[in-house]
Amino acid sequence: MKLKNVAAVSAIALVTAIALSSCSSPSSPATTAPTKSAAPTVDLSTLSGTITSGGSSAQANAEAAWTAAFTSVATGVTINYDKSQGSGGGVTNWTGGSYDFAGTDSALNPAQVTAAATTCGAGGGLDLPVYLSGVAIIFNLPGVSKLNLDSKTIASIFNKTITKWNDPAIAALNKGVTLPADSITPVVRADGSGTTANFTTYLSETQPSIWTYPVSTAWPVTGESGQQGGSGVVSTVAAGKDTIGYADQSSVGTATQASIQQGTSGSTFVKYSASGATKAFQQGATTASNGTSGDLTQKFDVTKITSGYPIPLLSYAVVCTTFKDATQAKLTAAYLGFIDSANGQAVAAKNAGAAPLPAAILADVATSLKLVK
Amino acid sequence: MSATPADTPVQISNTANRPGAPKGSARTARTRSRPGDLVFKGLSTGAASLIMAILAGVALFLIIKALPAITANWTTNPQLTTGVTQGHSSFWSYVAPLIWGTVFVSAIGLLIGAPIAIGIALFISHYAPRRVAGVLSYIVDLLAAVPSIVFGLWGIFVIRPFLLPLTGWLNHHLGWIPFFSGQASATGSTVLAGAVVLAVMVIPIITAISREIFLQTPRLHEEAALAMGATKWEMIRLAVFPYARSGMVSAILLGLGRALGETMAIALIVSPSLIFSLKILTDGQNSQTVAANAALNFPDANDLQRDALIGTGLVLFIITFAVNLIARLIVARTGPGAKGAKAKRRIQQLPPSDPSSVLLADAEAGPLHLRTSEGS
Repeated sequence: MKLKNVAAVSAIALVTAIALSSCSSPSSPATTAPTKSAAPTVDLSTLSGTITSGGSSAQANAEAAWTAAFTSVATGVTINYDKSQGSGGGVTNWTGGSYDFAGTDSALNPAQVTAAATTCGAGGGLDLPVYLSGVAIIFNLPGVSKLNLDSKTIASIFNKTITKWNDPAIAALNKGVTLPADSITPVVRADGSGTTANFTTYLSETQPSIWTYPVSTAWPVTGESGQQGGSGVVSTVAAGKDTIGYADQSSVGTATQASIQQGTSGSTFVKYSASGATKAFQQGATTASNGTSGDLTQKFDVTKITSGYPIPLLSYAVVCTTFKDATQAKLTAAYLGFIDSANGQAVAAKNAGAAPLPAAILADVATSLKLVK
Repeated sequence: MSATPADTPVQISNTANRPGAPKGSARTARTRSRPGDLVFKGLSTGAASLIMAILAGVALFLIIKALPAITANWTTNPQLTTGVTQGHSSFWSYVAPLIWGTVFVSAIGLLIGAPIAIGIALFISHYAPRRVAGVLSYIVDLLAAVPSIVFGLWGIFVIRPFLLPLTGWLNHHLGWIPFFSGQASATGSTVLAGAVVLAVMVIPIITAISREIFLQTPRLHEEAALAMGATKWEMIRLAVFPYARSGMVSAILLGLGRALGETMAIALIVSPSLIFSLKILTDGQNSQTVAANAALNFPDANDLQRDALIGTGLVLFIITFAVNLIARLIVARTGPGAKGAKAKRRIQQLPPSDPSSVLLADAEAGPLHLRTSEGS
């Protein structure tokens, strides 16, 4: 019952998000529909069936856009993506055999790889990057609309070593800005989240000596204001005073974003942009297969990001190489092929604020999808 | 509560066997059973056993699912050393602060809610004009139908900012009291905010039950108290409260049951930590509750972590069960029907209320006209 409530709220949020996105961009997803380039070998209009999937809520807006665009051509197909499951729940349902694919913000861990081999047979399961975005740092400081931060101050604020807004370390990055002498209230995620995992990856890779906590989906520092969901963090930061928080870019809305230093020194500070996230992927991500042939797990080295947005967020679709039902395999591969096409990425960029994945990785995904049978 | 003794045969279908009819015919009617009776008896027996089966099924499910997590090694198992269960040496060290938080937050919610609820019930039953009472009790009942997610969102957008000034004031002036100590919250995601919303949620339950009990206070008790010159408040204190005490206790414990299991409102409002804390005004030192913790972490948990969360649910199940059991025991021991010494003494504070003993007392005191003339 109670979990249903989460789903209900999520559903409302999703509907609102779609409504908002259709307001801001008058052209519907259908205008960029996957007619030609998506999967040249498959005529989408001949497909029919139902794809059952779920997982990461970060992907949800993009999944909604992809579903709308895909089913506008493949009219016989129904796609269900349940975002109330979260990444962990999505993978659990997928290894349990009830999902055709799962959306997850972190690639399969060794235990899940083993479980996937049991479910999917010898070919195992594949991690395919589908959704690229960024973690934004948002703040609410009366009278301050522009704030520069580097990884060192961010790590120190979130591990509670810097507690006042007028700390010399912050002041040094924001010359000419009058910072109040008030206490900083960091706002974090109370629920387990891929956003937290991506953010703690950034902190521990850039500042290993200051950020000594492990990379984790659960926020590791106690004594901070924990809120449910990215939207909970955003609304609390916006409603509070002297607050700072982190959230998946897709849920930030109109909250004030801090600009983050590129690299570990220098004077270039950037806010999230789709092109910045794509650049970050090109510079920082390398394929680090988990051992399964065709697997495209990405290892992000954020220290290598010199000109992109410094805190990228990557989300995967995980899918079996061998389906019990070949028709279902063809259907799922066609949908994932559409997602990881230039068109599919453009649909997500337009309707969900995602960053398009670079062409090179899209080609790799197309190759891997040939293994799905 | 029912005044009808169990062994009195009551047969509505047979007009000759209404209460008060000759006893002999009632006895013969009891032996004669009809198909309709059998069917209805079977259905109601089935319903009664079904609820037992469901309860047993839930308990069994919780135990089976929780066992792997309870018996697992929390320091070495790779599934438990990451994410939400990270840094706990055993299941018990994980669940203990959650239990504390659940009981603590619920208790504060009751502390705020119960007096208000009883006040409302008293107003409806004894003070309000009949028409106002009807509307008011309808509105309070309506409050019980509001989904908890609505209360949660209301808590986020209304109660949190509303309580911020009070939070700062309490922390500044009464910070030496452990409850109000610590770094005052800047966001409002405090135990206090959660407890206020919980209080609103338990009010309809406590009000509805207390109201019914207050209305059942024997009219003669009340009139006797008033006749002795008691004011309305004294009458309520002498006649209504003693009679309704056990009912109020069970109403409050039922409210506690509601508060213990409340999930979404707490998950949305309170900023949680898995600690033993008395503080109710901070952002980072709020004790987390079992249900909210499960709701927050279930989506991103792996298999064993889900088992662990179900395990915390099992402990909550046991606590809720215990609370209800205690409520039953209290009702059974001090209820109006109980033959406890306490209950007797309480009634003796008042003039006898049943007609026969009133008449007896009058007879003992002598004829009315004699008494009045002697008195003057």
